[in-house]
Amino acid sequence: MTTADEIVLHVKDLYVSFYTYEGVVKALDGVIMFLRRGDTMGLVGETGCGKSVTAKAILGLVEAPGRIEGGKVIFFDKDAETQEITELDLAQLTSEEMLEIRGNKISIVFQDPATYPNPVFRIGDQIAEVIELHQDLSLDVLYMKIAKLELALSETNSDVNRAEIESKIAYYRQQMEDPPEPDKKSIKEAAKLKAIEMLRMVRMPAPEQVANQYPHELSGGMRQRALIAMSLACNPSILICDEATTALDVTVQAQVLKLLNQLKTEIGTSIIVITHDMGVVAETCEWVNVMYAGTSVESCATERLFTKPLHPYTAGLLKAVPKLHEDRERLPQIRGSVPNLISPPTGCRFHPRCDYATEICIETKPILEELEPRHWAACHHPLWTSGGKKNE
Amino acid sequence: MSETLIRTENLKKHFPLTGGVFRKVIGKVHAVDGVNLEIKKGETLGVVGESGCGKTTLGRTILRLLDPTSGKIFFEDEDITEIKGRALRKVRMNMQIVFQDPMASLDPRVTIKNSVGEPLVVNGVARGRKMRDMVLELLEKVGLTEDHLNRFPHEFSGGQRQRICIARALALNPKFVVMDEPTSSTDVSVQAQTLNLMKDLQDEFDLTYMFISHNLSVVKHMSDRLTVMYLGKIAETTPYDIFRKPLHPYSFALVSAVPIPDPQFAGRAHILSGEVPSPISPPPGCRFYPRCMFAQDVCKVEDPPLRDLGGGHLVACHFAGELDFGKSAQMEYADSVEEAVS
Ligand SMILES: Nc1ncnc2c1ncn2[C@@H]1O[C@H](COP(=O)(O)OP(=O)(O)O)[C@@H](O)[C@H]1O
Ligand SMILES: Nc1ncnc2c1ncn2[C@@H]1O[C@H](COP(=O)(O)OP(=O)(O)O)[C@@H](O)[C@H]1O
Ligand code: SF4
Ligand SMILES: [Mg+2]
Ligand SMILES: [Mg+2]
Repeated sequence: MTTADEIVLHVKDLYVSFYTYEGVVKALDGVIMFLRRGDTMGLVGETGCGKSVTAKAILGLVEAPGRIEGGKVIFFDKDAETQEITELDLAQLTSEEMLEIRGNKISIVFQDPATYPNPVFRIGDQIAEVIELHQDLSLDVLYMKIAKLELALSETNSDVNRAEIESKIAYYRQQMEDPPEPDKKSIKEAAKLKAIEMLRMVRMPAPEQVANQYPHELSGGMRQRALIAMSLACNPSILICDEATTALDVTVQAQVLKLLNQLKTEIGTSIIVITHDMGVVAETCEWVNVMYAGTSVESCATERLFTKPLHPYTAGLLKAVPKLHEDRERLPQIRGSVPNLISPPTGCRFHPRCDYATEICIETKPILEELEPRHWAACHHPLWTSGGKKNE
Repeated sequence: MSETLIRTENLKKHFPLTGGVFRKVIGKVHAVDGVNLEIKKGETLGVVGESGCGKTTLGRTILRLLDPTSGKIFFEDEDITEIKGRALRKVRMNMQIVFQDPMASLDPRVTIKNSVGEPLVVNGVARGRKMRDMVLELLEKVGLTEDHLNRFPHEFSGGQRQRICIARALALNPKFVVMDEPTSSTDVSVQAQTLNLMKDLQDEFDLTYMFISHNLSVVKHMSDRLTVMYLGKIAETTPYDIFRKPLHPYSFALVSAVPIPDPQFAGRAHILSGEVPSPISPPPGCRFYPRCMFAQDVCKVEDPPLRDLGGGHLVACHFAGELDFGKSAQMEYADSVEEAVS
């Protein structure tokens, strides 16, 4: 999993701190992550483990008092036409350069649909604006013109008109090889049509009608669908969904997760699903990265994680969730609580809560290693190995 | 043990809906709309449903923190619907509530000792040294220590704050506690600790719980019996495992919406379409019919009563027991897990 042509994003030893009154919050402590082109990858962990900060670092949105202290965010930008790949370190770009990337190559959907970009504009207009800004619509304009003419053709019964329309259609068809720059009005019109198409793509009921509505007129689930449509309108290489279904009701969450699954087979976008919910990961992701207290602790195929987690934290987390099909009197619990990141534990940040911890865990930070084929974990005593023995 | 502690009869709580410049009443929210339920001594009744279905309103109305619009509430066979003053205060000592957001229920300027001790002082149970000792005993029961007595809420983690709220709810030695989404804003590792603690306390103090959550797996784990609510009404109350034997189409949909922790089963769930309609003008007839795949003409006009289908399994559906939902993906998953084990 290391050739540039497979990977679209490589987060490499990322360190981020926040300089607050109480002290320096060491929020990310060497985060490592790969995203393969076309994959859906889960970024999972409990509140405060650094999921959103990681997303912000990728998007160049870490703001004061936060600071990227080290590491790289390498984006392998593939040219749609030439298929040529450019390697960019997003952590090194200026804020102007990042504007080019954000909402163009990489876009994000947040948890709270109430934080809509523009509450006072109609849904369709907002999406159309993104499309106008980011897409070359010259071909779409031609299609639109031809479609209109074909409609007129089917409605006319005069032979003179017919000949005239047919010659116009032929003229536009010819232009399709090398479409001319369309006029502003046609672009606007094509963008509107395309916005409705985007709404249809996210399975919005009555897309023509919704396009003319304002965000507050939609239910939570519909708003999230519209946001996803808007985020995809720029044809991004990477879509980040940060707890995008967390605020939704369970039956609506199920609908949106299904939509994400349908979309990933239809469009080539690589997706990062950020969630605290292992169930959401299982439903949508091929690959999963587990974070704990600002560190990457495990990375593997989703199936592996559920059947054979190597890291004691992951294993503990999976066991602690009540499951619908099980009858248990008590839940196996992880003791203690997440550490304060101003003075995080030494060595392995999980050691104060870990049943397997020994001296080395207190002293040395374990590195994320490929312990089994295609299965990475950062632990001195991984499970299923001779080193993984519980301390009594 | 099967003595009844709490009972409601056709309990309703409507909120006036105001609008316009003069804030005139333009309608009403049918938050709780005719609920009949019974909670037995020592049991946990789970209440599950999507947001806005009336869970919180039901809990607060039973505790008389909200005045019911109509219907009756009984506590130990005493009608408490109308009681006031001293009588109400006395009953309230026996009934407590723990909320989802512990930070909002703790005064940030008050020490933990005084927060937890407040109900003891207000009700004249204890003060001074005696109050302190009682508070310490309570804190120790929820896993906190003497060191914590003089600290302030912001010095604690979310999980610890929830423990403090639980300690305070138990200060007056109540018989009944409503747990309103107590772990919905806590993380999984802390949730497991809190749920285990609540079970331990229930055994130790002979508590009866009404456990409210939108998370079906959590409610099921905590409950002896389970009530499913939809738009202010009970859809189903079951003493059985809802996962194996849902009888209301909405319950089946809730089961189906639970993500399966195995990617092999991803995308196999039966997914309910649409969203919960507004409780302002709920549909006539069965409230679920606009989203129900089994709906017939009768469902549009006739509100199905809650019927006992045997063994106290109550269902409000015209066709309860006659419907074939097929096997949920969740069941298939469970079977595959069992197979793998044996
Ligand atoms: N603006 C900020 N100021 C100070 N600390 C911050 C800020 N943003 C994030 N943090 C800290 O960074 C850590 C990671 O936060 P975050 O990435 O938001 O977690 P989550 O995994 O829940 O998304 C937390 O400990 C949080 O307190
Ligand atoms: N004080 C209030 N005034 C007006 N409407 C309310 C009030 N409290 C709750 N509601 C409404 O009553 C319905 C049920 O709310 P609630 O009991 O909080 O549901 P749940 O706890 O199941 O999410 C919702 O539609 C809600 O908006
Ligand atoms: S065994 Fe050691 S290194 Fe592994 S998780 Fe536990 S404390 Fe960390
Ligand atoms: Mg976050
Ligand atoms: Mg509620």
